[in-house]
Amino acid sequence: MLPYLLVSGLTTGSLYALVAMGLVVVYKATTVVNFAHGELFMIGGFLAYTFHVLLKLGYVVSLVLAVAAALVLGLVTERLAYRPLMRAPAISVVLAAVGFSFVLKGAARQIWGGLGDYMPFPPVVATPAITLGGLILVPQQLVVLAGALICMGLFTAFFTSTRTGKMMQATAENAKAARLVGIRVDRVYAFTWGVGAATAAAAAVLMAPLTFVYPDVGSPLLVKAFAAAVLGGFGSLPGAVLGGFSIGLIENLAGGYINTSFTDISAFLVIMLVLIVRPTGFFGPRAVRRI
Amino acid sequence: MGGAPARPGPSSVSRLVVRDVAIAFGGVVALDGVDLELGAAEIRGVIGPNGAGKTTLLNVICGINPPDRGEITLDALPLVGLKPSVIAAHGLGRTFQATQLFRGMTVLENVMTGLHGRLDEGVLGAVFRSRRLCDAEAQAAARAREVLAFVGMEKFEERLATELSFGQQRVIEIARALISEPRVLLLDEPAVGLSLNRIVEVDSLMRRIRDERGVSILLIEHVIRLVMDVSDRITVLSHGRKIAEGRPEAIRIDAAVIEAYLGKDLHAGSPAP
Amino acid sequence: MRALAGRRNVLALAGLVLLVLPALANPYILYVANMALIYVILAVGLNVLLGYAGQFAFANAALFGIGAYATGLLQVRLGLSFWIAFPAAVVVTTLIGLVVALPALRLSGLYLALVTLAFAQLTQWLMLNWERVTFGAGGFKVPPLTFGPLPAALGLYYLSLVLAGLLVGGAWNTVRSGIGRALVAVRDSEVAAEALAIDLARYKAIAFSISALYAGVAGGLYSAILSFVAPEGFDLFQMVVQFSMVVVGGLGSVWGSVLGAGLLVTLQEALRAFKGGQEIAFGLVLMVCIVFLPDGIISLVKRRARGWEEPLRAPDRRA
Repeated sequence: MLPYLLVSGLTTGSLYALVAMGLVVVYKATTVVNFAHGELFMIGGFLAYTFHVLLKLGYVVSLVLAVAAALVLGLVTERLAYRPLMRAPAISVVLAAVGFSFVLKGAARQIWGGLGDYMPFPPVVATPAITLGGLILVPQQLVVLAGALICMGLFTAFFTSTRTGKMMQATAENAKAARLVGIRVDRVYAFTWGVGAATAAAAAVLMAPLTFVYPDVGSPLLVKAFAAAVLGGFGSLPGAVLGGFSIGLIENLAGGYINTSFTDISAFLVIMLVLIVRPTGFFGPRAVRRI
Repeated sequence: MGGAPARPGPSSVSRLVVRDVAIAFGGVVALDGVDLELGAAEIRGVIGPNGAGKTTLLNVICGINPPDRGEITLDALPLVGLKPSVIAAHGLGRTFQATQLFRGMTVLENVMTGLHGRLDEGVLGAVFRSRRLCDAEAQAAARAREVLAFVGMEKFEERLATELSFGQQRVIEIARALISEPRVLLLDEPAVGLSLNRIVEVDSLMRRIRDERGVSILLIEHVIRLVMDVSDRITVLSHGRKIAEGRPEAIRIDAAVIEAYLGKDLHAGSPAP
Repeated sequence: MRALAGRRNVLALAGLVLLVLPALANPYILYVANMALIYVILAVGLNVLLGYAGQFAFANAALFGIGAYATGLLQVRLGLSFWIAFPAAVVVTTLIGLVVALPALRLSGLYLALVTLAFAQLTQWLMLNWERVTFGAGGFKVPPLTFGPLPAALGLYYLSLVLAGLLVGGAWNTVRSGIGRALVAVRDSEVAAEALAIDLARYKAIAFSISALYAGVAGGLYSAILSFVAPEGFDLFQMVVQFSMVVVGGLGSVWGSVLGAGLLVTLQEALRAFKGGQEIAFGLVLMVCIVFLPDGIISLVKRRARGWEEPLRAPDRRA
């Protein structure tokens, strides 16, 4: 059972990691947590469903289209929920994003709701489970895991090697200085939100074959991605990845060994304990008070 | 040495005693065994090149960062290990390098908050708005107006803290620290970014605080002219250590101090004092 | 007109209307007004924590639920009367609120949000899964209240009115005192607050206790008005609704929270007709209010009418 739980844990963990990365990249650039992030994931999943199941397009094509559409949606979110509120207190931005998330959720229910609440997504890889010396491996899970790792790799490469990625890093570190060297900071912000949304959608499309597509997936996912990011010391991309994998593993192990009803809650118990003992997160910097 | 007319120097009984204080942050030594004694009604300037540990010294004294070793006493009360709010309640006031006014309050409210430790208001009194509370509030407001008048800012009492200019904010911060009648006031670069006129005002304000209210002031400053002019004595820090201490005239020509600021090579070529 | 719409006049008029409402309105309107009073209590308490003390905590909906569950369970499981269960539940909720405050003393910003979020999730999970105590997802019925000769709805309405009046008045007085200034000091600059002898831990604890106490009272009343307690009134969506009441009304303004709660409860009831589009409508309203009135609706009132000044301003805008 343990190997199976570990693989499951790593698989869901990889998706939490991907979603958390999207959250963190927006936070690093704009110091705002995008509370519509979960719903961007959700829409990504529904879009993939539309492209792949309803329009019968290929899986990879659907993935690309869904990610592109989510990128646009991310730009829209920034325009509606962030830009007009740049000078408002932080909680206003949070609530505006939340308002937008409700609009997205309601819209999804209206548009796709008629087809049933929980929509199944066909598996990408139809081969049955492989038994490898006592280890049962489900190819679909491995494909998802591989896909997620590839996405993370692409994302990191984009961020560190491309010109746009470096501009995003510069803006995240010091917006004023970035402006002074000619970087169009507001465009970078918008693009950052788009990229964040795109990662969420990618995660959704990868995840879709393993579970259902449904409108309410956004909230719990946001909470877990947030938890993963905080565990990793909010503001660190590698930390978010580690946090995501940690939560995936904790969840599956608790669900397997204790009780399935413990799946959702175990991660939170761990987080509460970690934050009480180490307030800056497990992988974050040790906090010292400086003036 | 001639110069300033004789005035009662620092009393022999020290108000604030810092003995062998050391602190390191993650391997970097910020203070390396610093001694300092501040007398009653004394203005002590603390100067030194960047990174010398001046602000760290203030942070350690007021309790924000407990030292790795050493003792600090305020009128014989040991301060090490106490919370900053407790130390403040015992009569230590402070202003900050980056002004920390409360943005959500008016000038009057900011200064009234300074009385927190001395306010005679109970929780029940607050909730039910008792007579005692109303009186305490009125008294607090009156005292705040008094202090604002002392620093010459009485016209600004209803303005939001954020509406004031940078220089005005710094003066309000001093007023806020002053209202609780501290025995020792720590001022962190009060003159930074101020115009020449303002600096002169701050100079005379500090003298009045010392002379009219008997407060001892520990002053960090980079505006050397101000420090030389207003301090009774000056302590010089460099790399976390005290390298000189004495009257301003002596410090001005002290070789070690000049070297710390200007470096060895320059010193070799500098004109004789 | 400006003088006419001053605070004293409006409050006097509102007080009068609320007092005689049962004589004028049908049972449904009375129910909505009662709900509004419950949420006013909740929102004002939350504002003390969020607006004045600046503590970004997600625990309030859970504490609201604990107040409701405690009141209900003490009646159903232990057979106590409402008049004992209710105060006891308020005490329990306040104490739990203090326990939640403990990590808050060391955490801030995102970390505080997460710990309180985790607490909220944990509470939801217990409500759903600890069936032996909480009756699980289906919830449980609470014996209806009796007020002697008065019909229950009327008695409960006046009880809510009295409690709301006392608690809003208490909050209003508190923020006008040194305690209010201490809370705002903690919010605006912890380091400066400490330099003024303000004990951070103590005042954060005070803020958390106040919001927990108010949530407990609101929760107890809530269980009574529905005669029923179930997990879904206390989830993340509810937390969002509560935050919205505070922000839409006006962060850092007691009267703003009263306004925000009243408006949003009315809005929720009005939207019940649009079952399908309820989420979209709520989301749009929220976005529009926040983008066009970032200082809350109370800022409109303050501009147009005299006498609505309050000490201590909303949390500052980011630079």
